Amino acid sequence: MVESSISSSSSSYTYLTDCKSSFQIHNILPPSSNPLTLTLNHFLLLLLLLFSPFIAFFFVNLKLGTPSPIFILPWSLLLLLKLLLGNPIHKESVILMPAFGVQIETHYTRGRVSRRFIAVDKILKPVLLECVTPATCYWNLSLIVQGEQQLISVFKVLRPPAKMLVPIWKALCAVTTDNDKEEESSKENCRG
Amino acid sequence: MWFVNRKILKRLCCIIFDAMYAEKVNSMMGEQKERFRILMVSDFFYPNFGGVENHIYYLAQCLIKLGHKVVVMTHAYGNRSGVRYMTGGLKVYYIPWTPFVMQNTLPTFYGTLPIIRTILVREKISLVHGHQAFSTLCHEALMHARTMGYKAVFTDHSLYGFSDVGSIHMNKVLQFTLADVTQAICVSHTSKENTVLRSGLLPEKVFVIPNAVDTAMFKPAAKRLSRDEIVIVVISRLVYRKGADLLVEVIPEVCRLYPFVRFIVGGDGPKRVRLEEMREKHSLQDRVEMLGAVPHAQVRSVLVSGHIFLNSSLTEAFCIAILEAASCGLLTVSTRVGGVPEVLPDDMIVLAEPDPGDMVHAIKKAISILPMIDPQVMHNRMKGLYDWHDVAKRTEIVYDRALKCTNQSLLERLSRYLSCGSWAGKLFCLVMIIDFLLWRLLQLWQPAERIEEVPDFTMFHDEDCSRP
Repeated sequence: MVESSISSSSSSYTYLTDCKSSFQIHNILPPSSNPLTLTLNHFLLLLLLLFSPFIAFFFVNLKLGTPSPIFILPWSLLLLLKLLLGNPIHKESVILMPAFGVQIETHYTRGRVSRRFIAVDKILKPVLLECVTPATCYWNLSLIVQGEQQLISVFKVLRPPAKMLVPIWKALCAVTTDNDKEEESSKENCRG
Repeated sequence: MWFVNRKILKRLCCIIFDAMYAEKVNSMMGEQKERFRILMVSDFFYPNFGGVENHIYYLAQCLIKLGHKVVVMTHAYGNRSGVRYMTGGLKVYYIPWTPFVMQNTLPTFYGTLPIIRTILVREKISLVHGHQAFSTLCHEALMHARTMGYKAVFTDHSLYGFSDVGSIHMNKVLQFTLADVTQAICVSHTSKENTVLRSGLLPEKVFVIPNAVDTAMFKPAAKRLSRDEIVIVVISRLVYRKGADLLVEVIPEVCRLYPFVRFIVGGDGPKRVRLEEMREKHSLQDRVEMLGAVPHAQVRSVLVSGHIFLNSSLTEAFCIAILEAASCGLLTVSTRVGGVPEVLPDDMIVLAEPDPGDMVHAIKKAISILPMIDPQVMHNRMKGLYDWHDVAKRTEIVYDRALKCTNQSLLERLSRYLSCGSWAGKLFCLVMIIDFLLWRLLQLWQPAERIEEVPDFTMFHDEDCSRP
């Protein structure tokens, strides 16, 4: 595996590529948690655990009945735990198979992997976009796929910087253009 | 005799000195013309159409032509959200904040801080330019920009009262925003007076730069219209502020006095019902044509079908509609309100008090001088009088002055806010302290180094900047 980490900073993403086999694998690993963020998260969690009896008492006093805190509290705690205890993603990968297609993978920390394969003839164009949310802006690598109403995001959860996305975008462009050339040559052969 | 000669000599010396100074400034500008990176912020932008929207668009295009980087930030319009590119590589951020009331985003004070900070850092912005006092996004952006130490320029496009509740509140908000703004721009001298009175801003900090018109889009008809029937055109939103109630009284009287006069009324609004009722009451269906809402692309075709343009506004900082009409070769009849008397030369406009009798008299006068009006000559004059390139160059001077201003510490800035009022001053200080603390927290959470800077996208084009 050829490692090409873009930044040495602990807060940055890690980009790994493997081009040994006939197809290319591009991996993006999430940033290791910032010590400050981790400390803050654990502090908030501790506060939550300390105040949970008071929250339960508040629910009972509001005449919501005893079942409501029993049902509400564990779920709210679980939700907050999920939010506070970092990223559930281990890595996100793109496997480029020339003449076949592209496989997008999301590897979760618990071992679950979600995969999606897109045939090369269905990919119209890979695009590098700037996305805007109410709070931030980030770069996103997407695919314009035939028959799909919306763009298909290559990295569904992670938001790697543009300098990591550019080589992947170039590789995707190469895969799709190679396929177009093959199609054109086959059409010419048919005409011949 | 000697006194006259001395006066002439003094005048000549002044002219020579001015010329030398201008040459020196130009040579200095040639040596080190700074490329500004401007973020224009307003709730009002394309796909909406209006004075503010047009101003931002054309000014941005001409500034790009002058070699500056311009980015526009506005809220999302329906499906139009995210980053879009317009003519000349103008980059627009449509932030996915839904409009709250009158195309304005909900005022949150601090909700927009993360996104504004991200845009300012990633676009390497040097100056923030906010447009329109109505825009909440503009006020918030200017507030955050000053907190982060960026220079801020504000353009006021409207006039406000002093007595009603809405105006009192708006003036306090404006006072808060302008207390720490680097420079301000107004579209007319009347607007400048109004802004200075409302906000307590130093007059030397306020510049007057009028709007302009895209004369290429508003050309007169190729064939001159017959004067057998005189057509008076009205294009405006049919609301109280635009004097729709005046029209209800003026139109029947003019139709009674002149049987050869016909009206074309373009626009929509709550007062349309009153105009329809007037038309029915006086049986003027054949003489008053109601077009309803007119798309911006069709305004010119409506204007060129008339001889006189009638503007009945009760308040106006600068009426762009008058410029568009004059560019199409129409003689204008308008109410003498706000900045309207500053817009056109006396021979191109007939002014009247916002009173039905005076308006009718002004229309009479306009009909009498109509044979002396040549639409093509009027259009050519407008070409020379109002040009977006000139507006951009004048705005460039304001930016230059703003960037030369010294940076002030938080304490110095807070002292300005304290002078805004006994209790309001303290409240403003509290708002700014919280904003400063939140900004510092954001810097810890996500340092500026982690925000990726955007590569510049430049388009080389030779076409006129004023063409969309």
